[in-house]
Amino acid sequence: MANLKEKLIGQLETSQDKSSHNKITVVGVGAVGMACAISVLMKDLADELALVDVMEDKLKGEMMDLQHGSLFLHTAKIVSGKDYCVSAGSKLVVVTAGARQQEGESRLNLVQRNVNIFKHIIPDIVKYSPDCILLIVSNPVDILTYVAWKLSGLPMHRVIGSGCNLDSARFRYLMGERLGIHSSSCHGWVIGEHGDSSVPVWSGMNVAGVNLKELHPEIGTDKDKENWKKVHRDVVDSAYEVIKLKGYTSWAIGMSVADMAETLMKNLRRVHPVSTMVKNFYGITNEVFLSLPSVLDNHGISNVVKMTLKSDEEAKLQQSATTLWDIQKDLKF
Amino acid sequence: MATVEKLIAPVSRAQGEASRNKVTIVGVGQVGMACAVSILLRELPDEMALVDVLEDKLKGEMMDLLHGSLFLKTPKIVANKDYSITANSRVVVVTAGARQQEGESRLNLVQRNVNIFKFIIPQIVKFSPNCTIIVVSNPVDILTYVTWKISGFPKNRVIGSGCNLDSARFRYLMAEKLGLHPSSCHGWVLGEHGDSSVPVWSGVNVAGVGLQQLNPDIGTAQDKENWKDVHKMVVESAYEVIKLKGYTNWAIGLSVAELTESIVKNLKRIHPVSTMVKGLYGIQNEVFLSLPCVLSAEGLTAVINQTLKEEEVAQLRKSAETLWAIQKELKDL
Repeated sequence: MANLKEKLIGQLETSQDKSSHNKITVVGVGAVGMACAISVLMKDLADELALVDVMEDKLKGEMMDLQHGSLFLHTAKIVSGKDYCVSAGSKLVVVTAGARQQEGESRLNLVQRNVNIFKHIIPDIVKYSPDCILLIVSNPVDILTYVAWKLSGLPMHRVIGSGCNLDSARFRYLMGERLGIHSSSCHGWVIGEHGDSSVPVWSGMNVAGVNLKELHPEIGTDKDKENWKKVHRDVVDSAYEVIKLKGYTSWAIGMSVADMAETLMKNLRRVHPVSTMVKNFYGITNEVFLSLPSVLDNHGISNVVKMTLKSDEEAKLQQSATTLWDIQKDLKF
Repeated sequence: MATVEKLIAPVSRAQGEASRNKVTIVGVGQVGMACAVSILLRELPDEMALVDVLEDKLKGEMMDLLHGSLFLKTPKIVANKDYSITANSRVVVVTAGARQQEGESRLNLVQRNVNIFKFIIPQIVKFSPNCTIIVVSNPVDILTYVTWKISGFPKNRVIGSGCNLDSARFRYLMAEKLGLHPSSCHGWVLGEHGDSSVPVWSGVNVAGVGLQQLNPDIGTAQDKENWKDVHKMVVESAYEVIKLKGYTNWAIGLSVAELTESIVKNLKRIHPVSTMVKGLYGIQNEVFLSLPCVLSAEGLTAVINQTLKEEEVAQLRKSAETLWAIQKELKDL
């Protein structure tokens, strides 16, 4: 006897296309993970979204809350589980899991705690999605991208750190405020470490191709009466300030992850400042990950844009590399 | 000459015009921020204002959104505990107030939230005398009445988010049962946003095919497929998600963005939202319940005459009585 569904719907094709074509997994359903999830959903990037975490109730609650919004979304399948089998077949896996900075704490302090967590999660991710691109968000992101690369065995072009995509966005926002222009028309690149020693490339700052350093040669120096150096200082302090005020940051990082996810999923070949393996660039000899302007497509990082850096900018990159390697060499895998 | 002057030559000395599609969110808790992000990601406002009493949290949330400016199309985001920041809003979303604790019913929150509203509603009205107010705080039907009374607005400009979310949850669950997308599954949940909401089984359809015609027992105790459970799960949804993750926010945020879109874009779409129902279905008191309403730039401009069965009308009347019993005890409106 036919049930209501059978009475209503005449099935033409019984073999269901069971696998998704554009699956994204978010690991970690804290504030950052959920901000990534909602940004990705509202940009219609995935036909399936999987959430993974260890806290089962919270995980289920977050999944249900998103599912209840299905009517307003275009992602037909939203699943979750603490077992990584739910993430199987993902094109992109965003890793936000791990401890986060407390008020006043630097990102580097979190390292060993998060390495231990990654030892559990990275192998499982790769087991179920051997062809995926890994996008690491957890801090300290440059070190953890290295760790993820080592633990995953994936080729380096498929392990990306969210790195300075957010720092550059904050820089462009602040630049836009000063100039009274929308940030998408303000161009400035912050590269290197996602953290206290990031490098603002003053020589590249421009609006409509007009180079700001040519208009204002003291830009970024201590002699600058307009103190543009403060723009970069504010970027470095941003996270600490927001954490002090609301306890954590979520929205901006979530949106920046969706921005990168869009380029990866749609094979756009846009250039983003993301954390990649920089050995042999700028005289760096160790296997460290730092942010450089990188071309992203559906295979991951396909090229790095070779920026011309001044000698002091190169020196700063080398110093970040040394700082990071100092920590990395002591890590126990 | 400052960098900005060297770089940018003004064409028009006239000041920019005021915002035309300003949306204010009152309350930056989980629900308020989910509304904010959903509205921003849907690119609805040209300006967004946030208001709350917790100044640090408010500032932190505003900064976190501003840091995502590069990825948004809303050039002005402001926040302050002073309502002057909300001036000239088109839509004001009110999420402020206490929220349900685990196991607590929405009606328990009433007097606590009435006192909060006595402060905030006059402020909203003072600075945006022509706005449309969407009330989200619970118990939403009573608080929409309270808002209407305190504001002195005509009833087309005071809307309760009401059963927009219940109906979305119903359609999501219906879609799961039928293997379809929720936007193709039609079902209306009306009346009280809460335990006594009314699923209108006679209207439940896919492609105009009434499910009650295919399954006359639908919604009754005799129904072997137990479709009644779909509505039961809708009623329990909020409690369940609260039990799992402590609160709900994503689904309500997305549903509020949908209502806001209809108003800001003058779409004249129909949504089940809470409106003044005195004079309808034999209801004699000034209560607010959800009915299918047309939303446009002037707010709630029409109500659809839903043909209800006797027992459905009886349920609406009973809700009206329950709500009136509470409303008449409220002090100093």
